[in-house]
Amino acid sequence: MITVKLFGLLRIESGIKELHLEADTMKQLCDNLCLQSERISKKDLDKCIILINGNKGNKRSKLQDGDTVIFMSPVAGG
Amino acid sequence: MSLKYSGYMGKVMAVDLTTETVSEYPWSDTERELYIGGKIMAARILADHLTGKETAFSEDNWVVISTGPLTGTGAPSSARFNISALSPQTGILASSNCGGSFGLYLKKAGYDALILKGQCRKKRWLEINEEQFIFHDADELWGTKTGECQEKLIELIGKKNFGKLCIGPAGENLVKYASIVSDERSAGRTGLGAVLGWKNLKAITVSGTKMVPVHDKEQTAQWIKKWVSYLQSHPLTGKQLPKLGTAGLVSSMQMHGLLSTRNASAGHFEDFEKVSGETLAEEYNITNKGCATCPIRCARTVKVYDKTVKGPELETLVLLGGNIGNCNLQKILDWNYELDELGMDTISAAGTIAWAMEANEKGLWHNGLSFGSIDTLSSIFDDIAHRRGIGDELAEGTKRLSEKYGGKEFAMHSKGLELSAYEPRRAVGQGLGYAVSNRGGCHLNGGYLVILEGLGLNVDSQTPKAKADFTMLFQDLMEMISASGQCLFTSYAFFPAFLLNKPNGMLVKIVNFAATHVGWAVRLINKFPRICALHLPMFHHTKMFTLAIGMKMDFGHYIEIGERGYNLERMINNRFGITAENDKLPKRLTNVPQDPKHPETKVPLETMKKTYYQARGWDKNGIPKEKTLRRLKIK
Repeated sequence: MITVKLFGLLRIESGIKELHLEADTMKQLCDNLCLQSERISKKDLDKCIILINGNKGNKRSKLQDGDTVIFMSPVAGG
Repeated sequence: MSLKYSGYMGKVMAVDLTTETVSEYPWSDTERELYIGGKIMAARILADHLTGKETAFSEDNWVVISTGPLTGTGAPSSARFNISALSPQTGILASSNCGGSFGLYLKKAGYDALILKGQCRKKRWLEINEEQFIFHDADELWGTKTGECQEKLIELIGKKNFGKLCIGPAGENLVKYASIVSDERSAGRTGLGAVLGWKNLKAITVSGTKMVPVHDKEQTAQWIKKWVSYLQSHPLTGKQLPKLGTAGLVSSMQMHGLLSTRNASAGHFEDFEKVSGETLAEEYNITNKGCATCPIRCARTVKVYDKTVKGPELETLVLLGGNIGNCNLQKILDWNYELDELGMDTISAAGTIAWAMEANEKGLWHNGLSFGSIDTLSSIFDDIAHRRGIGDELAEGTKRLSEKYGGKEFAMHSKGLELSAYEPRRAVGQGLGYAVSNRGGCHLNGGYLVILEGLGLNVDSQTPKAKADFTMLFQDLMEMISASGQCLFTSYAFFPAFLLNKPNGMLVKIVNFAATHVGWAVRLINKFPRICALHLPMFHHTKMFTLAIGMKMDFGHYIEIGERGYNLERMINNRFGITAENDKLPKRLTNVPQDPKHPETKVPLETMKKTYYQARGWDKNGIPKEKTLRRLKIK
């Protein structure tokens, strides 16, 4: 089981903070995540910075049971 | 009087508070060309006046309140005004910018700027309109908080549509980091509220109905429409800032190790989610709000004590959150409101508290404060504003307290101004900016390089390569945006949307890699700005000048004026003893890695400083060379 956390606009617009999904690869996880809400599209996920267990990841990364994946929309400006 | 340029009202008024007399200060078209307005105009006026012997609390400390030429033209986010003077907190030049309506109304009254000289002989407030400057006794207002004071001013003036600014109890009691408040917005940094307090001036109101002249009305209106549309379609200014505000950065800062935690001893806060922008939006935010003329509308509104008030910015969330070991968001909303009401800078107040907590825990100063113990903070803030008990000491700020009790190595300030919320050991260019910034430890005046180093792009955050050159470019750019009367956030749309929309794409990776290898090119632009004699498509500011002001402008000219402003400010600071020795950071940030397993996670300040001085045309001592000052027509 993969723990998925959303941050930034993706979280505000989808209304999803955290969920648990089955996946062996990032591609599977993204496909699965898009099924969870009509407000999440692959295009939205493409815009996100991805962290896997705190390290930078990408759409080709492999996943292991117990991983935490963070999707964060880019931000700036303070 | 006929003015060469539109956008200006043509009058700078000098108000002698001691004699309660007013005269016009000479300001020519040539000076408008060279110094534009806002903080650069203020720097010129103060450079012509200050000798290096004055102190913040003296009759010779002139306060310059200045607008920019775009204020009142309808340009996006252009309701800003600037306040400059000597700072009681740093002892050097202060500047603080505010989005309240005072600037707009100052121009409606027919004035581009005010210079406040001397000191009122008794407690006063000043009413300005198109014809008169009227001094009133302020006994009724003295002691009031900023909200109540402004309500009373509405009663006293008898209408609502006028501009106002005032100080709270903190300014009256000369708290070193007291702010000036206009509507719900603050000129927060550098303690200028205390300068007004020392001058016995509680408030200023200004009203008028004059229109700001615009050079080419039709084309200006079209350009504004295009610009607003661009800002509203950009991922940062059109989506993130309206929906999450600056608070949206908290989570990203956590991911990048930039979240100042427990007095900047770390860059991650374990409970960051509880005090994040997302939680603020989901559980507390009512709506977003903006300053007049702003299409970005980044401010939050929240409920505090059953009132709908302005919510906290990122800086306040971090510095009154993880930086003092607090994860209670409602408390941060309460303190943010209380500090605005007391008229105190939230950044410096929070930074001072964090230092005091660490000093207590290390046994240097037994003050009863410790990280995470927050129950007494409301009353401590009130004590600071009224200088009661330990509040009297805390009112002096981090620098003075660390000089008295020890703990300089973890005193998070630069030149006496407490650092902002970005822990710079994971964004070393931001660290350089903090150190060399003209007003002290400010993220914006420092160049805001963190936007390249994780918050926006992902340029290598540990390398010193190219950081000095980008720092100079961004400082000069923001200097000019500020001087023109606009909000710095308009510059964030400078980054093309594709860079933000595809953070994992190959093109962005190339940009991130290339950025640290193009220092030479940035330096070339910095050195010869006129090679950029063009309007950049994603930077609408320059063409706005041409259309609305009728002033010849292009990108190169624009940054050159910014450079002039930055050097003018530096020149003033040099007179007050600022040299390379003062461009520094506490040892924690330069000598101690944030992550012991990664020795590179500290700020290589001296390496970057050397390059920065060279880029700026300053000598090894941090003094602008004569030829630099001559090239910029400062001398």
